Amino acid sequence: MRTAVRIGSTLALGLFVAVAARGLAQRGATSAGTPSEATARIVASAQTLLTTLDEAGRAKLQFPFEGPQKTRWSNLPSGIFQREGLRLADLAPPQRASVMNLLSTALSRDGYRKVTDIMRGDEVLRKTQAEGGGRGAPGAGRGPGRGGPGGGGVKFGEDEYYLAFLGTPSVTAPWRLQFGGHHLAINLTMAGSQSTMAPSLPAAQPATYTVEGRTVRPLGNENDKAFALINALSDAQRTEAILGYRVADLVLGAGKDGRTIQPEGIRASALSTAQQTMVLELVREWTGIMNDAFAEPRMAEIRAKLPDTYFAWSGATTSGSAAYFRIQGPTVVIEYAPQGGVDHIHTIYRDPTNDYGAKFIAK
Amino acid sequence: MSGESTSAHRQDEYLQAARLALDPDRVQLALDLTPGIAVAEAVLAEIDLDANRSISAAEARAYSERVLSAVALDVDGVPLRVELVDSVVATVDTALNDEGTTRIHAVAAMARLADGRHRLRYRNTYRPDIGVYLANALVPASDRVTVAAQRRDVDQRELIIDYTLRADPATRTRRGLSLSVCGALILAANVWWRLSRRPDGAGRTCDEPS
Repeated sequence: MRTAVRIGSTLALGLFVAVAARGLAQRGATSAGTPSEATARIVASAQTLLTTLDEAGRAKLQFPFEGPQKTRWSNLPSGIFQREGLRLADLAPPQRASVMNLLSTALSRDGYRKVTDIMRGDEVLRKTQAEGGGRGAPGAGRGPGRGGPGGGGVKFGEDEYYLAFLGTPSVTAPWRLQFGGHHLAINLTMAGSQSTMAPSLPAAQPATYTVEGRTVRPLGNENDKAFALINALSDAQRTEAILGYRVADLVLGAGKDGRTIQPEGIRASALSTAQQTMVLELVREWTGIMNDAFAEPRMAEIRAKLPDTYFAWSGATTSGSAAYFRIQGPTVVIEYAPQGGVDHIHTIYRDPTNDYGAKFIAK
Repeated sequence: MSGESTSAHRQDEYLQAARLALDPDRVQLALDLTPGIAVAEAVLAEIDLDANRSISAAEARAYSERVLSAVALDVDGVPLRVELVDSVVATVDTALNDEGTTRIHAVAAMARLADGRHRLRYRNTYRPDIGVYLANALVPASDRVTVAAQRRDVDQRELIIDYTLRADPATRTRRGLSLSVCGALILAANVWWRLSRRPDGAGRTCDEPS
């Protein structure tokens, strides 16, 4: 029995190494520079975007740093949740390209790919809806006239993503780049050399789709690394990590700012060095969405507090199952919550000490 | 491009997410209820009692009270009275568009508890036919309260929180001083008694031989 467990753990570790190596290869060498240099590049890209817009466009894009726009983000689609900002569908191609260039500057290569994969997945959802396919399509069979804000009903697709600047893009003063739509909310707050992406919400539906013969899984690494981790634990560790109850949704999703729940699961100090590394590589799937220059200091902060970080799991541990997991430490909370199956995933990324950059803005 | 199921969000369930904040003398409950699109009309029928597609303040309050009547809290087996503080009830439009969350804030006062271990039990039995539940303890705001463990049933309708209550700093200081003074008095009495019994005549009683 012990031999079987050892073999299983070794296989899980091997799978994890393969997934992590694939991620590293895709990431490639980072030449992100310092955080201040990254901020400067992002600001330059933001200012380039501003030059492509007329006065009306700039007015749609820019918001006060503090105000209702700060928390105007959601996982819900247009038609149910009304976003404000610059809508991609309203932009001319050069303007839209400028927005995407800004995102590619603000995010890492992996992060930009993840965001565009999520958006492309929503485009798949839109086309499937339009074709009348799929199970339980929202609005199906409920008759006409059921519309949300804007009166047009639920809207999916790559056009329904919005960009906003909160504050004025600056290399020194705090400002926030907010980008999102259905199943995506990126809140990147910058103040000189400091930055945070908390809170942000990467999600996906469909969680797996094909484009030109290529299989795309926007949150595939998150899923695979998590299953490898839970299966790399010993029986005793797994017992401690697994919550004995069903978790149907995110506990700290959109609208749940300012709350800190009691940590549960297995403490990272009870894990081996190899297992702790797996936890950190799983966390990196979220922190690594940011520009590499921002992500590395963030990972260092999380690594320093790893002994007080918990990993919790709910659901089957067989890869391919719909299982919930949470990573919670003093400065990070990550949740991964399947919504009734494996094809619809919500996740949340928070920092209870620094959501919206509260720590460095207060200085 | 191809994809799979296009069901966007929870449709035939009523998500009820509870967060409990433990203070030394009370429990605060935040309960968020979000109906899926397929059950929104049924939920609205419970709220909009006059069916005029508009929710009055009285209807909102009545609904919040009805939900709370299905919530039970006890500490160490002693039932607590759960009282509505305030609520924001979903409008007809938002509920029918899968965005309507009703947020209820309630509080239950506790009689003064002794320092030491206690157990809080929370149970929500509102609409078990369509309910999907989350229940979590928040990190206590008071440093007098420490959560030791949480246990839930498999559906999270019930949450048991084991916690420790410590005396407040002022009481701890007074207790510490009292103990110190008592200790000092006992020590002084002991020393005096020993000295009074010394064979060199110090403290010798009159009828003892010299």
